[in-house]
Amino acid sequence: MTWLELELIGLTKKFPGFTLGPLDLKVKDEVSVMVGLTGSGKTTVLNLISGIIRPDNGSVILDGSDITHQTIESRRVGYSFQTPFLFPHLNVYDNITFGLKKNDKQAKKIYVKKLLDDMEISHLRDRKIQGLSGGEMQKVSLVRMLAVEPKIILMDEPLAHLDPPTRRKLRIEFRRVLKTYGVPVIYVTHFEEDVYALADSVTILRDGKIENKGMLEAILSLRSSDFISEILADANYIEGKVIESEDGITVIEVGSQFIETLGDYTAGSRVGLLLRPEEILLSKDVAKTSARNVIRAQVIKLVRGISLTDVHLQTDYLHLRVKITEKARKDLGIEIGDLVYAMFKAIAPQIIREDS
Amino acid sequence: MNDSNPRNNTSGRPKHSQFDMILLVLAGAMIAYVASPIVNIFSLLNPTSFIESMVRAELAKAFLLSLITATISTLLVAIFGIPLAYSLARSNFKGKLLLRLIVIVPLVLPPLASGALLLGIFGPYSMLGKAFPLEFTQSGLGVIIAQTYVASPFMILPTQASFESVDESYEKVARVLGKNRLETFLHVTLPLAKRGILVGFIMAWVRSVGELGATMMMAYNPHTISIQIFEDNAVGGLSNALPAIVLVIVLSMIVLAIFYALSKEEGLKPIR
Repeated sequence: MTWLELELIGLTKKFPGFTLGPLDLKVKDEVSVMVGLTGSGKTTVLNLISGIIRPDNGSVILDGSDITHQTIESRRVGYSFQTPFLFPHLNVYDNITFGLKKNDKQAKKIYVKKLLDDMEISHLRDRKIQGLSGGEMQKVSLVRMLAVEPKIILMDEPLAHLDPPTRRKLRIEFRRVLKTYGVPVIYVTHFEEDVYALADSVTILRDGKIENKGMLEAILSLRSSDFISEILADANYIEGKVIESEDGITVIEVGSQFIETLGDYTAGSRVGLLLRPEEILLSKDVAKTSARNVIRAQVIKLVRGISLTDVHLQTDYLHLRVKITEKARKDLGIEIGDLVYAMFKAIAPQIIREDS
Repeated sequence: MNDSNPRNNTSGRPKHSQFDMILLVLAGAMIAYVASPIVNIFSLLNPTSFIESMVRAELAKAFLLSLITATISTLLVAIFGIPLAYSLARSNFKGKLLLRLIVIVPLVLPPLASGALLLGIFGPYSMLGKAFPLEFTQSGLGVIIAQTYVASPFMILPTQASFESVDESYEKVARVLGKNRLETFLHVTLPLAKRGILVGFIMAWVRSVGELGATMMMAYNPHTISIQIFEDNAVGGLSNALPAIVLVIVLSMIVLAIFYALSKEEGLKPIR
């Protein structure tokens, strides 16, 4: 596989009331998720890379060559927008082959067919755009982008307008296809879940500048920082390995711990789980409940709010954040250093990422 | 429970019937007004003189001249007007408002005035008229010059509105997928703006056929169908002009039928 790299060097762009950069960034064969609040300049970065807008200063280096002053069409950049913008006057297949040169259409036939199969939309091949669902449109849009074999892929919250279950499902599929395809991907989002579901590395953008960049794990360990916690605060993200999956129940090994959740997954694959802090119950003794997951952990931190308190728990491999009312904490007498039992049902954790 | 249904009042009629009545009266009056002169043709019609007048060679010639010149004029306005409409819709430059104003001048100006002004440019004693050994006036060319001028806003305005309604993101997508600006225009913008352009074609063509004032100034001869109607009416009154009028009405119906057939084929709506 060719080794592709995107590099931004000192990139700046001034708008009335907002300045982006100077921005320095390197993205290799990875899915790099760029997060930031609305107005932090995420889309502008993508527009600068694709050539839709021109920078005031700095350069964009793709695959070793400076493309800063190239036309949009000669850059070979794949860019998917928030809405898929499929051409309404063309059917699905003509949309997908739109970017191919006339001579290539025959030669790339097998490749396009494989993409359609990979995204599981072969049956839509001859359909009109008008009848497609939102999720199908985004899949077609992704295949259309991959058909021209771009050297880098830019995605601007392509799943933002979809309903949560579709979004969750498509995220897993997108990551699988993008990883097979093997080019740098910059995925822009303001959804916390997108980070956990898609990221190899994370870039945090704040007021037009890069606040932080690192591999997912490294960034997650920085979550205590005020700004990062503002964006990546909510959920517990847990990675583990599928041990067995039977009758719709999947057992995941996380360190010395086992977590039960719903769904059928391939044994041996690595998965990412999302567990909401409000879905976890705490108790000081083991209680007999219907909760399938009981974890013994130590309280290492308490962050008291007006009515709710964040209880931070630690086991050998796991860090969990639990949200309980301050009153409940007092009644139970939970203090730092205490050993407690964290309980949650199998339905609580959701698998949002799967790597084979 | 029937009375809890808001669509049913005591008389059992749906509530919007009042609105329907208003529509019926006003819209009905409008269509009656427009249709009455056409319907009245039947009361004026004298079959023998009608047929006699209909088979005149000059009428056929005038009709044919109008068809040919209107088609050429429409194509000319399309070739130059569509790029202008696109520029007005997509580019931002100083003086754009002035250009927009200039475009609608032929629409506001009485056609006779347009014709008079065109004579100032193309007349036999004008600079152009002296410089070129061409018959700009009193010729088919003169008819085309007049029609092109008067019909231009009918092409440019709907086309421009249509280009403006095409989301620029489609064009960005096409560029990112490797198409240059010309390819993007031809394969994306133009097809997506098709409806408005089609309207432009029909309106410019219909306007060209119906043009009288400017054509009279530029080229009273050879007669277009409009001038033929004007002359037949001047010579022998309405009954004398009827054959030419009926021809134009039939023609307009054919054009309308073609337009609906074409636009039905394209159920184009942008997808979000």
